[in-house]
Amino acid sequence: MSDFRQTRRQTRRQALPVLALLLAAGSASAEKLIMPPGMGGVPDIGAIPCAVYNDMMRIGPLGTRHSLITWSAGYLLAVTGKPLQEAVNAADRTGPPWTYARLGDELTGYCADNPEAMTRDAVKEVAARLKSTTP
Amino acid sequence: MSTTLATPESGPAKSKLWKPPIVGLVTFVLMFLAVGLGHTMMIMIEHGLGRETTLAVSPLLGFTGIIMLWYGVKSKNETFQTWIGFFGALIVWMCWIEFFYMWYGRMNWGMLPRMDGLNGAGPLEVSGTYPEYMIMGSTIGTLLMMLCFYTFDKDTRCNMFLWFQDKLGLREGLGVSTKTAKDRNYAIITFMETIFVTWFCYAWNLLTFDPALMGKGDLFVAVNLASVFVAVVWAGFCLTRLIQFKRTATALRYAIPVGNIAWVNVEILEKLNLMSHEVFIDPWSHKLEASVLFGALLTLIVLLLIAPKKPSEIGRRITPATES
Repeated sequence: MSDFRQTRRQTRRQALPVLALLLAAGSASAEKLIMPPGMGGVPDIGAIPCAVYNDMMRIGPLGTRHSLITWSAGYLLAVTGKPLQEAVNAADRTGPPWTYARLGDELTGYCADNPEAMTRDAVKEVAARLKSTTP
Repeated sequence: MSTTLATPESGPAKSKLWKPPIVGLVTFVLMFLAVGLGHTMMIMIEHGLGRETTLAVSPLLGFTGIIMLWYGVKSKNETFQTWIGFFGALIVWMCWIEFFYMWYGRMNWGMLPRMDGLNGAGPLEVSGTYPEYMIMGSTIGTLLMMLCFYTFDKDTRCNMFLWFQDKLGLREGLGVSTKTAKDRNYAIITFMETIFVTWFCYAWNLLTFDPALMGKGDLFVAVNLASVFVAVVWAGFCLTRLIQFKRTATALRYAIPVGNIAWVNVEILEKLNLMSHEVFIDPWSHKLEASVLFGALLTLIVLLLIAPKKPSEIGRRITPATES
């Protein structure tokens, strides 16, 4: 009986690394960004090539621009600690106003000019310009 | 889908060429090409006017189809009514459905296109399911609701609905049709037929392509291959009937669903990467091929226009003795 228990304990001990690996694999899979089936768009619009973004703009201009503006808002908040509205308000004091349309035009214009870049590069560029015009 | 198989009583037009199966085959090829070149026409309009202008003027352009229909309905010529009903419906479908949904989805609601390659299996790219098709997919309930009218209408002459009425035991309850061929206006019949057939075939494709319903794996492939089987058998069965037609106007109306159902296969095979209909959707890259197909369509239309007609097809109601 004691042999049996020992064998079981050993088996459990050997199974632990396997279980850990399985859990790790499972959690890695759960971490993947998977879109709900049927939904349009991409899970992370800041991480796609500008060429794909340009193609998305051709088919869904309004929604695609809005997605990247929203992504930019999150990026700016993370970098500056300010929400987008505050960031543009501050930048507005030194130059032409940063409107919703202008933000979209700047992001889209960057991607149109640099199809080989990533969309996050467009956001970084616009964020830098916003920062440079902020007193 | 008002259809009647030619009967010995109706008699053929006096021509050695325009008799079965030529009439049916010509109308089938014409309608099949018309579906493909309908896509081309939309793209050419968008290219010519620019997308924003096209979407802005499309509600007004759609009235062109209604004005055509108005002329068609007033005419007594069945052939004219049929052509006008068909072309009027194409214009209305293109302007009031396709372009209008395009404006709603892309420019008003800010919808994003569905993407291929999100799972890393292939390159990340925009799929063929644009926002307007996502909207159209949601109209399936409306379509089925409206098809109820034809299912329960005692005056319908569409063979499919007559078959449903027969199988559902509705014939007795609905009673005998009170309309004769003379009471029917083929302009509005062809107009509605073209709209509903186009809508139905779109809905069919959109339903079987929907990743939320079919996924992207085995179920998707199985359902779409089953769709091809159904579409081939259905179109093939209808074609065997179509090639028996003698009257060009009747054949034209019957060929509308046959051509559209056959086209369902093209869309599916394209989706499964087994063929491409790029010549229709990117005519600028295939100028010669698209021109040849467009020329072929025009030739078939002209041939059908000059084909000998029976008096009843051109609005001359005469006695059965002179009809033959």
